[in-house]
Amino acid sequence: MGRMKFLCDIERCIDCSGCVVACKEGNHIPVGVNRRRVITIGQGKPGEKSISVSCMHCADAPCIAVCPVDCIYQREDGIVLHDKNTCIGCGYCFMACPFGAPQFPSGQVFGARGAMDKCTFCAGGPEETFSANEMRLYGQNRIAEGKVPLCAGMCATKSLLAGDADEVADVYRERAFKRGSGANAWGWNKAYKKK
Amino acid sequence: MKKIILPGCILFLAMAGLALAQSSEPLLTATYQQINTSITGEWQQYGQLFTQLQQFMFSRLFLLVVTIVPVIFFLHYIVIGPMVFDHGGKQVYCFNLFIRIVHWCAALSFALMLLTGLMIVFATFIGGGSIVMMGRLVHLISAVVFAGSAFCMFLFWIKDMFPTFYDLKWIIIMGGYLSKEKKPVPAGRYNAGQKMWFWLATLGGGIMAATGYFLFSFPADINILRLSAIIHNFLGATMVAMLITHVYMSLFAIKGSLGSMITGYKPESELKILHPRFKY
Amino acid sequence: MAGVANTWGYGAMTNSLNDMRHTKSMIFIGSNAAEAHPVSMQHILHAKEVNNAPIIVVDPRFTKLAAKASEFVRIRPGSDCIFIMGLVNEIIQKGWEDKEFIRTRVAGFPEMAEIATKYTPEEVENVTGIPAAQTRKVAKILATNRPTSLTWCMGGTQHHIGSSITRAFCILQLVLGNMGKSGGGTNIFRGHDNVQGATDMGVLSDTLPGYYGLSDGSWKHWCRVWDVDFDYIKGRFKEKKWMNAKGFTLARWYEGVLGEEKISQYTPIKAMIQWGCGSNSNSQYNRVVKAYNKLDLFVIVDPFPTMAAATCTTDNVYLLPCASQYETSGSVTSTSRQIQWRHKIVDPINGCKDDYSIMKELVGRLGFADEFYKNIKEVPEDITREINKGTLTIGYNGQTPERIKLHMENWHTFDIETLQAKGGPCDGDYYGMPWPCWTEEHPGTPILYDVSKSVAEGGLPFRNRFGVEKTYDQSGRKEDLLAAKGVYNPGSEVKGGYPEFKDVVPGTNWKTDLSQKTLKEAVKRGMAPFGNARARCVVWNFPDQIPIHREPLHSPRPDLIEKYPTYEDKPNHFRVDTRYKSEQSPDLAKKFPFVLTTGRMVEHMGAGAETRSNKYLAELQPEMYAEVNPKVGNDLGVRDGEMIWIESPEGGKVKVKAFFTERVDDKTIFMPYHFGGTLMGESLAGNYPEGTEPYVVGDSANVCTNYGYDIVTQIQATKDGLCKISRA
Repeated sequence: MGRMKFLCDIERCIDCSGCVVACKEGNHIPVGVNRRRVITIGQGKPGEKSISVSCMHCADAPCIAVCPVDCIYQREDGIVLHDKNTCIGCGYCFMACPFGAPQFPSGQVFGARGAMDKCTFCAGGPEETFSANEMRLYGQNRIAEGKVPLCAGMCATKSLLAGDADEVADVYRERAFKRGSGANAWGWNKAYKKK
Repeated sequence: MKKIILPGCILFLAMAGLALAQSSEPLLTATYQQINTSITGEWQQYGQLFTQLQQFMFSRLFLLVVTIVPVIFFLHYIVIGPMVFDHGGKQVYCFNLFIRIVHWCAALSFALMLLTGLMIVFATFIGGGSIVMMGRLVHLISAVVFAGSAFCMFLFWIKDMFPTFYDLKWIIIMGGYLSKEKKPVPAGRYNAGQKMWFWLATLGGGIMAATGYFLFSFPADINILRLSAIIHNFLGATMVAMLITHVYMSLFAIKGSLGSMITGYKPESELKILHPRFKY
Repeated sequence: MAGVANTWGYGAMTNSLNDMRHTKSMIFIGSNAAEAHPVSMQHILHAKEVNNAPIIVVDPRFTKLAAKASEFVRIRPGSDCIFIMGLVNEIIQKGWEDKEFIRTRVAGFPEMAEIATKYTPEEVENVTGIPAAQTRKVAKILATNRPTSLTWCMGGTQHHIGSSITRAFCILQLVLGNMGKSGGGTNIFRGHDNVQGATDMGVLSDTLPGYYGLSDGSWKHWCRVWDVDFDYIKGRFKEKKWMNAKGFTLARWYEGVLGEEKISQYTPIKAMIQWGCGSNSNSQYNRVVKAYNKLDLFVIVDPFPTMAAATCTTDNVYLLPCASQYETSGSVTSTSRQIQWRHKIVDPINGCKDDYSIMKELVGRLGFADEFYKNIKEVPEDITREINKGTLTIGYNGQTPERIKLHMENWHTFDIETLQAKGGPCDGDYYGMPWPCWTEEHPGTPILYDVSKSVAEGGLPFRNRFGVEKTYDQSGRKEDLLAAKGVYNPGSEVKGGYPEFKDVVPGTNWKTDLSQKTLKEAVKRGMAPFGNARARCVVWNFPDQIPIHREPLHSPRPDLIEKYPTYEDKPNHFRVDTRYKSEQSPDLAKKFPFVLTTGRMVEHMGAGAETRSNKYLAELQPEMYAEVNPKVGNDLGVRDGEMIWIESPEGGKVKVKAFFTERVDDKTIFMPYHFGGTLMGESLAGNYPEGTEPYVVGDSANVCTNYGYDIVTQIQATKDGLCKISRA
């Protein structure tokens, strides 16, 4: 089993936020915490593009590097998870993450942050798989059921791909080929085929 | 008269600099950008720097500080030993009740912050979780107490803490602490070492409070947060080192000097050697 | 739909969403599919990627759909007709029309082409703002990349000439020869998963179920289906004439309450039941509120209280909480004419009842339960069976409850490209048995008007609905309205055009023969029960026989009003006098300089009562806003995010946040219509029953939408009003 990865195909993302809501509903996330967001660039102008971003389960994760309690860990399949019981809410992972993935529920004592929450690739957490605690703390464990994360499962245009990195790359490569990027972009078709 | 000139010049230069900064804002910004870029690179500004420092440097730095610095002083104690003064004779009233109380509030809160701060830095060895989260809260409360005390101390002592030209001489001879002789050193009411500690504790403390607030509440842009974390850690390590120094100096290096912060009195014999320019 | 139905017989999406995967080019005009039909985008983008199909988006705004387009055409709201006729003209001038298709399957072409010559690309530019070169470019793209799929939604219909605009769309596809082909068609996306079902069942004031209309023959047909006496039904009306008279529309029912406009009814409306109606999706919403508060009795049946509950402050309002789709079951008809079954997965919660139970309680107390439920014992399956029995016009005969449920259970056996089941229990069927599905063996009709397949396999010609022969007023030419020789479905006995079937069972035709022998006979002979005719470019029963441009009622171009005036005022238009000419004034644009258009956002749905009560959707879009071009904002002295007042000529005012964006140009203001719960900036959250106020409230855009209604259907013209804006 290869590494698990997300890939959002921006040619297909229509900024519908279906992935965002699917994640929130399926994992019972409190309002204010955004495990996944859709960012739109060039809104309203030609060239407008949208991308859905969450924790990217990085290979050399900066969050793992900076955590003072080492509560973030990476599984064999590349999924980055963390232990909410060990987390002290210091926020270093948030500062280290280039994607803004760590989220903090607010409203604790003196306005202190609670334990960090983030996308789990729908793979639960360190608690026992399918236990009530796992659901309460981390949300669903769809990977253990053999399913893709809620967000990718929801995406109607199949813009958001999730799964084995090799397979995801293959799917995307096929698409890129059909669209005519790379070698196909400036070949015969582009020059002589009239549109 | 003399006492006013040097501090006055420094103050004037500081003001001029500020005025210059305000008027030629773009210049400052451009310069700042250049320096910033050369130090940190362009993309993501402080993200990469913060990650690398936190991963490789901060905890090691703190470990070094809490081990090496006491060791150095321990060696000083056994090699050179403390200074001993006759505590009989004339006593000079140096610290009034108000400032002594404020000082001990500051000391206690600082100690708590030191302890809980180290708990956070080395949290992984304590197992994290609710203990450390409690520690963060104590750190916050102590910080508020310390900030108040530091502010009082700042106002109370600032007039005595402006640098003078003989401070440089004091620094060169390390205040005479490297020799066993008891010769008068160039110092007024407070020597250069105490002055440096004052400024670090108050201004540094202020910066620690500000960056600490940013780290607690996340009220700003992420690069400001990263910068706050970097400053808080480096400055914190410096303050820990200086605190250990201050504790050594006031508890061990000069025998009986703890008493002055309890009773408020220093023996005249001590003042003649360590603070000869002090006109009491 | 009226426009489409009057062109070739049926008013519905002709192909399917899945079929759009095969298209070679797509044009969307008045559709923001990326936000209104996000799931359809998978098929649209598939065609874009795999077929390299260009996507042309024609819209006043650069929408999220336009972001995926290869060609964006910015059009002035309300000028769609002239743009499309301009394309038609350009295609004809360049000789790109499908001459064979026109010769054999289209009627009235020369008369239409004559009118179209007025709409040169230069004139199109003058009226719409679209550069002449772009009109030519679009015409060329469409002509060289056939078949084209043409899609429109409310952006095409919600104008006072909506019925002309939709006909123009049909004419374009006829001229290009894109009808009855895979990858072609006029693919109107209906608003949710049962709008097609709602119109098919006749939830309209001018017809009985199945588009039978209101003639005596139609009533008699349905009385036979319901197994009740025609005289009994006749006796329910005050006088016989009301039985055949069109009623009020959703767009203007409130005028029947208020009595300020002249109504053609013997009494004002005193009582109202809103059964699953969003309330603030009605234009002229101020008047709606006024009407609510004047009613003697107001009943709201809905899972959510809706804005109606908040704005009606009288004592005679009854809220009957009804169940959501998860708490009940029944059939629904999708935009692709496919029938699906919704299953019940929980019993109704929180004390609500499903619609059937509420209906039963009501009917029981009103005293006609015996007649109503004569043949309905098992609900809802028996209702479906009654529909199967009687809805012969659109071929709802073959989709029995058993077949529908079988399709749902065997979803996975249907092919995504063709919609046909390969093997399995549904082998050969098209998913959902798209109507017309003439018999219980018929697989359904995935593509309307497709003569490449036999009728038994789902093929169809154009419907013979308008007679067999016509002499045109415009030219005096006489034309045979049946299809030409040689145009027929494979296996057809008659190798050319033929009229609709009648007297297979003497005294009946294919629409009224309840034994369904006519349908079976036709299919057996390889022929369509409704005949084999030509689609018509000239609709002689419409005010504009050939689609022409008319300036919106509230026109921002006073200089064009003289050249393209609106209609004469229409008395008794669905029982209320409706103004046209007297409403169109060249002075209005001076005081109300911006065009106001409304539309959808992906995060909210309809009137918003449901989605604004969902915490996550509310989190995504918590505030009402108006899209304002930054130039307009700067000229007005408003900053991005400041509150502004938007005011309509009728005096409707809303207070909304200005959202600076380049989506709209500097002449247009856009507002989403999903918000409600406040009026003129004042919150009505306190008026909702305790605990039911939505998370998000905001001013309703429809307070500002202008007076204006389609001349044929009376649909509200919410896409091309006028407004003025000011700082709040």
